[in-house]
Amino acid sequence: MIATPVGTDSQLVIAPMLIVLAAATATLLLGRYPRARAAVSLAGGIAYAAAVAAIDWYIVLAPDAPGIATYQVGGWPAPFGITLVADGLSAFMLTMVAILGVASLVFSTRHLPGGEERSYYFPLFHFLALGVTGAFLTGDLFNLFVWFEVMLMASYVFVAYSGGPEHTRAAFWYVTLNLVGSAVFLLGVGGIYATTGTLNMADLAQRLAEPAAYGLEPAPVVGLFALLLSVFALKAGLVPFQFWIPSAYRAAPPQVTALLAGATKKVGIYAIIRLTFTVFAGAAVGVDLSLPGVTIAGDSPLPFIGAALFIMATASILVGGIGAVGRDSLEGVFAYSSIGQVGFIAMPVAIATTATAPGLRKLAIVAALVYALNHTLAKGLLFLSVGTVRSATGTSRFADLGGLAMRSPPLAISVFVASLALVGIPPLSGFFGKFLVFDAAARARAGPVLVVLLVGSLLTIAYTTRAWNRSFWGAQTDAVETASIDPVQVAVLAVLAATIVAVGVGFEPVYEFAEIAADAAVDTEGYVDAVAPQEASDLIDSSANGGDH
Amino acid sequence: MTTVIMRTTARAIVPIVLVVAISLFIEGHNLPGGGFIGGVLTTTAFAIIYMGFGLDFLERGILGRDVDPGKEPSRDRVVVAYRRLFAYGFAIAVVSGLAPLVFGQSFLTQTFVMLEGVPIYDHLEVASAIAFDFGVYCVVVGGLLTILSVVGAE
Repeated sequence: MIATPVGTDSQLVIAPMLIVLAAATATLLLGRYPRARAAVSLAGGIAYAAAVAAIDWYIVLAPDAPGIATYQVGGWPAPFGITLVADGLSAFMLTMVAILGVASLVFSTRHLPGGEERSYYFPLFHFLALGVTGAFLTGDLFNLFVWFEVMLMASYVFVAYSGGPEHTRAAFWYVTLNLVGSAVFLLGVGGIYATTGTLNMADLAQRLAEPAAYGLEPAPVVGLFALLLSVFALKAGLVPFQFWIPSAYRAAPPQVTALLAGATKKVGIYAIIRLTFTVFAGAAVGVDLSLPGVTIAGDSPLPFIGAALFIMATASILVGGIGAVGRDSLEGVFAYSSIGQVGFIAMPVAIATTATAPGLRKLAIVAALVYALNHTLAKGLLFLSVGTVRSATGTSRFADLGGLAMRSPPLAISVFVASLALVGIPPLSGFFGKFLVFDAAARARAGPVLVVLLVGSLLTIAYTTRAWNRSFWGAQTDAVETASIDPVQVAVLAVLAATIVAVGVGFEPVYEFAEIAADAAVDTEGYVDAVAPQEASDLIDSSANGGDH
Repeated sequence: MTTVIMRTTARAIVPIVLVVAISLFIEGHNLPGGGFIGGVLTTTAFAIIYMGFGLDFLERGILGRDVDPGKEPSRDRVVVAYRRLFAYGFAIAVVSGLAPLVFGQSFLTQTFVMLEGVPIYDHLEVASAIAFDFGVYCVVVGGLLTILSVVGAE
C-alpha cells in the first residue's frame, strides 16, 4: 500500500510531512557530527522536493490524476479525525516552498551563523518546513492552528538565533505579537466550533451552505472569520499587522528570512484563500453592514471579507513601497518591499471575493497565485543574496557597500534579475504576475485599485533602483574589495535567477498549474466530496453492522 | 530556599509526585493523563529537588561527579543527558508514528492487545499508544529540565 500513487486515498499525501519529520529527527540525533548533519539535512530537502513533485504529478497534473487526494491520520474517519487534503492549491503552494527550501538548505550547508546553537539550526529548519507543509495540507481548522504553532515555535528561535540585544528585542516583539495572534486564532476556532459543531473544513463548508438542515444559527461565523482573517493577515504581514516584519527579518539569519518571506507569509495567504473560497464562499449567511458612506449587504460573508482585504492590501502596497524607499540597508529595503508585495498578492484575492462572475473570480485567484510564486522566487533570491553579501563583506548597509557588480558579476546579474522580476519586466515571472493582477483589476472595473497598483509599481521601481545603485553600482568600498564571495552560494542564486527566467519564458505550464490550483480553491463541492465527512449516526450504524471503526 | 523545612518536605513529596506522574503516564491512553502531563509532573519533582538541594545536587550528590563551579551550565553532563533524552524521546515518538506504515495503515494508527491470565492483574491491556506516549514523556522531561537547569543556573 505504500505510496500507491493513483488513488484518492494514498500515503503520498502525507509523504512530504513524514520526510521533513524524519529529517528533523535525524538531524537532532546527529547533533555531534556537523558534516553528517548537513548531508542528511540536504538529502531530506531533496527527498521533500521529490515527494512534492510526485504529489504534483500523480495527484494533480497527470492526465489520469484524481485532482484531489485525502488522508485520514491514524485511520480515524472525517470529520472526527484529522484529514489531510492534497489538491491543486495545496500542491501549488508546496511546490513554491520546495523550490525555495532546497535552495535555502544548500545555501545553509555553506555558511551557518552562530556558535553552539548551530547544532539546532537544521532540526529547526525542518520543523519550520514541517509547520508550513502541515498548514498547506491540513483539512482541519484546529489542526491548522497546530501547524501555525509548529511554524511559529521554529521561527521564534530563528529570530532570536544570533542572540544579540537587537535580536532579542526583535524576538520579544515577534513572540508577543504572535502569542496574541495565536490567542485570537484559538478564540475564533473555538467560536466556530461552538457555532457549527465542527472544525473539519469540508464539514464546515457543508454545514454553512445549508445551516437550516443542521439546525445552526450561523450569523456569528462572519465575525469569527474576521478574527481568523486578522490572524492570517498578521502571518502574511498585511498592514496594519506589518510592524513586526522589518525587525524580525533583520534579526533572523538571511537564509531563514528567505523562507520566512517566501514560505511562511504564503501560509497566511493560503489560509485566506482556502477558508474564504473553499469554506466560506458557499455560506448562506446574510451580511448587512452599514457604515457611514458604505453599505455592505448580501447573502454571503464574502463582500465583507473583500472590503477588509481591499483596505489592507491598499495600505500594504503604499506603506511597504514608501517604507522601502527610505531604508539604509539591503534587508531593510527587502523587508518593506515584502510588505508591499504581499499587498499585491492580497489585492487580487480581494477582487476575487467581490467578483460575481466565476471567470473573473478564477482569473483573480490565478493572478494572486502567480504573483505569490514570483514573490517567493524573487524575494527568496534577494534575501539569500543578503546572506551572501553579509557573509562576504560583513555588512549589508548601503553606507559600507558599493561596486558589488564589478566584484562579482554573477551575483550582480542574479540580484538584477530578481529586482526586475519584482518590478515586473517581461519575460520574467514577475511580468505575468503583475500583468494578471492589473488584468483582474481592469476587468473588475476597479479604477481606484488600478491607481493603487500603478503607484505601488512605481514605488517598486524606485526602491529596487535605489538598492541596486547604492550597493552594486559605483566605486568599490573597502569592505567590498576585501570580500571573498562563496561560489556555491552564488551558484544557488544563479539557479534561482534561471528559474525566474524559466517561469517567465515557459509560462504556459505554470499558468495551467495556477489555473488548476484556482479551480481547486473555488471547487467547494469537489473538496467536500473528496473528504466525505460522515455523520456520527453513520458511524454508529457501520459499527453496528460489524464495521471496525 | 535550601532550608531544613524545604529539604524534609522534598524528601517526603518527591517519591509521591514521581509515582503519581508514572501512573498518569501509564493510564494516559484510556483515562485523563498521558505522556505530556506525566512528563510535566516528573519535571516538577526534579524542580523540587533543585530548589531544596541546589543545582549541583544531581551531579555531585547522586551521581558522585565533580562539578567545575564556573562552567557554562548548558555544558553540564546532566544537561547534555537531558538534551539527549529530548532527542531520543522525539525519535521514539516519530518512529512509533511511522511503524503503522509498515503494516499498510495510516500514520499514527494505534492498536491494543489484551493479555489474559496475567498474575495479580488477571487481564492487562497493552496499547501501542504507550510507545508514542513514552516518546512524548521523554521530550517533555528532557526539554523542560534543560530549560530549568540552564535558565536556573543563569
